Amino acid sequence: MDKALEHSFVELLEKHQNIVHKVCRLYTNNQDAHNDLFQEITIQLWKAYPKFRGDSKFSTWMYRVGLNTAITLYRKSKRSIKTEEFENVQFKIKSEPYDDTEEQQLKLMYKAVHKLNDIEKALIFLYLEDKNYSEISETLGITEVNARVKMNRVKTKLRTILNP
Amino acid sequence: MDELDLLKKDWQSKNTSKEQQFSSKDIYPMLLKKSSSIVKTLYYISIAELVFWIVINSVPYFSSEKYREDIEAIYGNSATVLIITILSIAIVILFVYLLYKSYKSISVTDSAKQLMESILKTRKVIKYYVIYNLVVAFLSMAFGLYYTVYRNPDIAPQFAEFSDKQMLITLLIMILVIAAFVFVFWVIYQLIYGILLRRLNRNYNELKKLEA
Repeated sequence: MDKALEHSFVELLEKHQNIVHKVCRLYTNNQDAHNDLFQEITIQLWKAYPKFRGDSKFSTWMYRVGLNTAITLYRKSKRSIKTEEFENVQFKIKSEPYDDTEEQQLKLMYKAVHKLNDIEKALIFLYLEDKNYSEISETLGITEVNARVKMNRVKTKLRTILNP
Repeated sequence: MDELDLLKKDWQSKNTSKEQQFSSKDIYPMLLKKSSSIVKTLYYISIAELVFWIVINSVPYFSSEKYREDIEAIYGNSATVLIITILSIAIVILFVYLLYKSYKSISVTDSAKQLMESILKTRKVIKYYVIYNLVVAFLSMAFGLYYTVYRNPDIAPQFAEFSDKQMLITLLIMILVIAAFVFVFWVIYQLIYGILLRRLNRNYNELKKLEA
């Protein structure tokens, strides 16, 4: 593939890498596995890039490839078996002082999210990223109605984990 | 504030720390690395399956003149052998074509459900190829057995002296051995694909459950 294409891809990925990192955070539980998944998503994005027509935003396209890689294509590496405390590694607590209760609540929330299954994580990820139901249904390949129903169930499940 | 709103606010305000971010210098080498996705693994397994069965089916043809003669003796004439050979080559070509087509249809930019379906379709093609080979292996062994017992001029006379009961037991044992052989192969395949596609199957079922 030509250099210009490679250059434009790397530039775009560098700019939007936060999306890929967020997918990695959801689906892995230590830094090695995070980097492994990041690597695999990068390869999949790069392989699909020549067909990227630009009729959708690069970031929107990244959500789909990123989630597809995490849910379907990625084979967990041996390294991902080693687990560390999820919130310590993946979600660094903000440095500015804020409410302790809120901090505690967030820790619990992230832990609860990590307990969801792959599809539920995808739904909650798209919700957290403020995607509308039309985008969610297109990304996952389910109807909008079913996306809504499932999203409500996932939210209820999260609330139940937090307030048993 | 609702817990979920709190989470959303925190999630959106959170950016990847500087240490964790990759620079373009880090990203370039990533493009050169090989993918370790399940599609890649499935691809290598299917190639191995094709090669394995082609080798198994053709090695005796090239290695022993006697085997060829025996085969021709079993089928009665060389024309039948030729037809069977051409047919099996055509079937292998058909499977290669179907595999190529289904691999081509796998696209990471499809929806999650569509992507899973394309992968499962590819796995189905490999499965049919394996079933085809196992059935052929079973039939060839059973047919070879029948020939040995009833037609082979060196061995058939010995079997002719067996009583009906002895004959029945011998045949049953032989059929059981062949069935066990085919079964072991089948279990190995189920294990390989079961482990490889466990997560995909689980997620696919989860998505399908939503549509029910």
